[in-house]
Amino acid sequence: MTNEYILHFIEYELQAIALMWMAVLYTIKIVQLSRLPISWERGEKKGNPTRGVLRSYGTIFMPWSMESSKTHLWRWAEFGLYHIGALVAIFNTFTFPFAPAMMTPFVRVLFAVLIAPAFVVGILKLIRRIGKQELRIISTPDDYFSLVSLQFFFFFGIMALLVGTPSWRMAYFLITAGFLFYVPFSKISHYIYFFFSRYLTGKRYGWRGVIPRLESKS
Amino acid sequence: MSITRTALEEVEKRFNRLIGTSATNLCTHCGWCVESCHVYLSTLNPELSPVAKTERVRRVLKRSHDWLSKLVPFWTGAADLTESELDKWVELAYKYCTLCERCVINCPMAVETPQIMGAIRGTLTSIKKSPEILDQLTGAEIAREDGLDMMREIFREHIVDLEKEVQEKLNNPSAKIPIEEEAEILYVPLSGVHTIIPPAVIFNYVGASWTLSMFESSNYAMFLGDIPRAKQIVNRILKEAERLNVKEIVLSECGHAYAAFRWEAPKWFGEPLKFKVSSILEVMDDYLETGVLTFDSSQNGEAITYHDPCNIGRKGGIFEEPRRIINVISSNYREMYPSREQNFCCGGGGGLVANTDWQDYRIETGKVKADQIRETRAKKVLTSCDNCLHQIQEISEYYDLNVEVSNVSQWAISALTIT
Repeated sequence: MTNEYILHFIEYELQAIALMWMAVLYTIKIVQLSRLPISWERGEKKGNPTRGVLRSYGTIFMPWSMESSKTHLWRWAEFGLYHIGALVAIFNTFTFPFAPAMMTPFVRVLFAVLIAPAFVVGILKLIRRIGKQELRIISTPDDYFSLVSLQFFFFFGIMALLVGTPSWRMAYFLITAGFLFYVPFSKISHYIYFFFSRYLTGKRYGWRGVIPRLESKS
Repeated sequence: MSITRTALEEVEKRFNRLIGTSATNLCTHCGWCVESCHVYLSTLNPELSPVAKTERVRRVLKRSHDWLSKLVPFWTGAADLTESELDKWVELAYKYCTLCERCVINCPMAVETPQIMGAIRGTLTSIKKSPEILDQLTGAEIAREDGLDMMREIFREHIVDLEKEVQEKLNNPSAKIPIEEEAEILYVPLSGVHTIIPPAVIFNYVGASWTLSMFESSNYAMFLGDIPRAKQIVNRILKEAERLNVKEIVLSECGHAYAAFRWEAPKWFGEPLKFKVSSILEVMDDYLETGVLTFDSSQNGEAITYHDPCNIGRKGGIFEEPRRIINVISSNYREMYPSREQNFCCGGGGGLVANTDWQDYRIETGKVKADQIRETRAKKVLTSCDNCLHQIQEISEYYDLNVEVSNVSQWAISALTIT
């Protein structure tokens, strides 16, 4: 079995299996969640629930809208850099095998430059999680494992982009597959719940005229 | 059946989509919520941050709802419910969380910590572990219905005295406080006269068609997460509204009563209420807008600030109404920082004010509010909730704020233009 064959298997077949696995588990999760009862707002509407939902989804892009981000702008910037890096690293797992022509030296460097800050932020996050008591007492093995795994994901991603040898690519795609198998079980799956949570909260606050706030009578 | 098993069954009954979303992997343990909580900020106890408090409950919920937690609980911090943990839950849900929702507003994921704590309150009530005083107050509210005929006469006599005060304030001998009469508005006060006289003055001033009934607006069952009894308390007022053929139910300045009637009751009953439900603040604001309510602002240069009660503001959507009223009267209004949906809980919410066993702790966690008030350098603090009023009075004394505290309507009537 050649390295080329193994790399091909890891980049295509293994990724496809892992993606299907993740899709099936997420579907089950979403169905389970959707089947839970919910009491929608029924009091006379004061605000605008649609605007509430849009604003709720947009909150994370508006650091001034939450005190937790307004007063800690650097933390918010870290959050942005980390998620941009993660998105690029995920996107990269598709462009490598499916759009090789797109992966010019410039694009490779650009992607690596976008992932690198996420790697640095990951280290800071890890230091904070260990060093700050209020984070340490709520941290579980899953928290540390997820954080460290992502560091490897970013690191192998950067190396696969900049060095690009089959062994770095293999490492990158192996950890990607491992991720896809693990993510539905871990806190990394927060991004699935995020859409439910932000929708439900935004709808309630919008309905009641809390967010966006009604400055004048309609 | 063991108490823990019963508790878990009760939790399951309350496990809805909101809680389900927040109960497993939504929270990333990022810690952004930590500084949003007045309890944490006042005590600096990391175990009292929103995420730490919720995690104690979430780890049990995870055990039965999260795949990984079922298989390898230690990996996700999941744990089985024990009797000692149930005792801890009493403090978590009733003492250390006032359900103020400030953490929700400041969580990037919108984790619904108060929804989880609310469900736990209901669970604890169903297994008779909730604070006794809240249970007794709820019982007393419900028992009021049984002794209604006896109370009616005493209440009417009392109201005759109050009517005289209203007449004096308005310089109008024909001003009335109608009881159980057909009218357009059913006004539902609390037990204190400070929630009866000011609205009575206002209703008479504008010539509104209004009436009182025998019932009060407070609903301690809501603090207990006891929906059947909360519905019972609301329902008797709805029945009165129907009997008196009113169009609108107007609630006194009471945070939880407003939240219960305006937003929660329609959900409990599964349908919109037949009546418009408003706070007296909204009604006063409407009267101001239409010009039937006028104030003399010439005497009001005193530095004044307003505390947004969580149930009225962040959970109720009433932010600008009190400010419009205050700004018409006062020339020296000072906004608290932060305010509106970012306002801090006074420390007495969620029924904590009623619990004398936790008084010292309540005053301790009022420190954040005390600091906020001090920074405004106001001499008077207005609010729209009796629990907040009581708490701010106490923290004013404890932290030497030296401020007067009043409900908005109570303060506003002193500035009415009376010819």
